[in-house]
Amino acid sequence: MPPLHELQRAFAAAMIEGKGLTAMTSMRVGPAWRSLALYRRLIRNNYVQALTITYPMLRRLIGGRYFSTFARGYLKRYPSKSGDLFLYGQHFSFFLFTLEAPRVLVELARLEWACHEISQAVEKPAFTLGWFEGLAAVDPACVKVHLQPTARLLRFSSPVHVVWQTLQPESVAVAEIGRPLPEEGAYLLLTRVEGKIRVAELAALDYRLLTAMADGRQVDHVEQMAMEVDPQFDFARFIAALMEMNALVGVSMETSL
Amino acid sequence: MTLHCPAPIPARAGIGLRSQHYREILEEPPPVAWMETHPENYFGEGGAPRQLLEHIRSQYPLSFHGVGLSIGSTDPIDSTHLRKLKALVDRFQPTFVSEHLSWSSVDGRFLNDLLPLPYTEESLNLVCAKIDEIQTELQRPLLIENVTQYLTWPDSTIPEGEFMAEVVKRSGCGILLDLNNLYVNAVNLHLDPVKFLDVIPPDAVQEIHLAGFDRVGRWLVDTHGRAVYPEVWSLYQWTIYHFGPRPTLIEWDTNLPPLAELVEQASQADAILRACYATPA
Repeated sequence: MPPLHELQRAFAAAMIEGKGLTAMTSMRVGPAWRSLALYRRLIRNNYVQALTITYPMLRRLIGGRYFSTFARGYLKRYPSKSGDLFLYGQHFSFFLFTLEAPRVLVELARLEWACHEISQAVEKPAFTLGWFEGLAAVDPACVKVHLQPTARLLRFSSPVHVVWQTLQPESVAVAEIGRPLPEEGAYLLLTRVEGKIRVAELAALDYRLLTAMADGRQVDHVEQMAMEVDPQFDFARFIAALMEMNALVGVSMETSL
Repeated sequence: MTLHCPAPIPARAGIGLRSQHYREILEEPPPVAWMETHPENYFGEGGAPRQLLEHIRSQYPLSFHGVGLSIGSTDPIDSTHLRKLKALVDRFQPTFVSEHLSWSSVDGRFLNDLLPLPYTEESLNLVCAKIDEIQTELQRPLLIENVTQYLTWPDSTIPEGEFMAEVVKRSGCGILLDLNNLYVNAVNLHLDPVKFLDVIPPDAVQEIHLAGFDRVGRWLVDTHGRAVYPEVWSLYQWTIYHFGPRPTLIEWDTNLPPLAELVEQASQADAILRACYATPA
C-alpha cells in the first residue's frame, strides 16, 4: 500500500478529476469502481447542495438540472479550500462569466454571494441621528463615517435586483433613497436589518457619495461633492436614510473632541 | 466572553438543530433533553444564526458536532478552522465537542466529505497526534465518531473497533458511537457490528447517534434523510443494554420532517433508555 499521503492524493484526484486509482483498486469488497463512483456522487452532491444554499435564486431561475451542471463544472475549476462549506462558491459569478453565461446570471450570482457574505457578518453598533447631531461642535472636516460590515455597495450593468426580487418566495420591498430608478443597470446597497437582507437601489449620485464615504472621505467633503452636482441635494435626509437602513457605522475623527 | 458553563447532558435523547426548524423551536421549545449542531454553521460571527444559537443555548444543553477538521488528513490541521472552533466553544460552552474519524483534505484541497482511513499504524499515529493538537487547543477532550464506509482499504492492518479503542487509549479522547453508520457498514461491507462493539471500551462511549439511511443500488447510504430503521433500533437496544444509557441524538439532516416527527423519534429513544434504567443489573 502506498503511504497515506499518496493514497489520499490519488483518491482526491479520482474524485475531482475522475482519474483512476490504479494502485489501489483491489478493494476487498465489490468492484472498486462502484465504491469510487458512489463517493464521487456523494461528494458532488455535497457541493451542489452547498451552492444551492448560497445561490437559491440563481437555481430557481435556471432550474436544478442546469444549476447542477454549472456546479459540477465549478467544482472541477475551483476545488474547495476549506472544511467550512460556507466559504465555498466565492468565484461562482466569475466562473459563469468565463463560460460566457448570460449577463443576468453572472450578476445574479454576484448579488447572491454578497447576500451570503453579509448574512453572517459581524454587525457593529450603529450610531443614531441624535448622536450624529451631538457632533455639531466638531469640525466637520474631521468627521468620517464607515459602511457597516453587514453592508455592500454593488454596481451592476443589468437591473439584476429586480430579477432577484421577483424570484423570492416572499416578496421583499425594495427600499429607495428618493431618486428615480436608472433605466439600465443598477447601483445597489445591500444591508442587513434585524437579520434580513434589504436591497436598496441607489441613484448614481447616491452611489458615488456612499462610495466616497466608504473610501474614507470626510463627511463634509462628501457633502460638497453632492452640492457641486445638485445644489438642492438634501444631505441630512440622505444620511438619515442610510442610517435607517443600518448602512453606516461609527464615526472616526482625525482630531479628538 | 463566556456565555455559560457547560451544562451536563443527561442520558436522554436530543435532536439535531436545523435551520428549517428554527421558527418552530422558538415558538414552542420541543420536549427534548438537548440539542446538537454543526459548529461550522456558526463560524460567521454575526447574523441571525448566531442569535438563534444564543437563544437555544439558554434553554438546552448543547453539543457541537464538527465536520471540517479532517483529522485523518496528512495535511496539517487548518489553524483558522480550529481557531474559529475554539472561539465558538469558548463562547457557547457545549457539553461535548465531536469530530469524525475520517479525512477530507489533501494538499490543501478539500473534498468536504467524511472519507475512510486505512486502519494502519501510520494512520493511528497521525490521528492521535491530530487529536492531541485539537484537545490541547480546545482544552477539553474530543469525541471521535466512527464513520460510514463504502470501501475497505485492502491493506488496513487493524480492525476498525480496535483502531478506535487504541485511539482512545493513546489520546484520551472519547467516542461518539454512530449506530446507523455501524449498521450501514455492516451491511455494505459484510462486517459484524457486535464484533466492533465488543472491543470498544464502554466508558469511552459518551454519546450515541441514530439516523436513517437510503438504499441506492446495492448500497445503504447514510443520508440522515429518514426515520431510524428497525434494525438500527435493535442495535441501539443491544448497545444500551450492554453499555448502559448514554445521551442519544436523532440525526436528520436531509429530507427534513416536521419537528414533531423528529421529537417522536427522540421519544422512542427515550423509551429504550428508560427501559434500560428499569432493567435490574
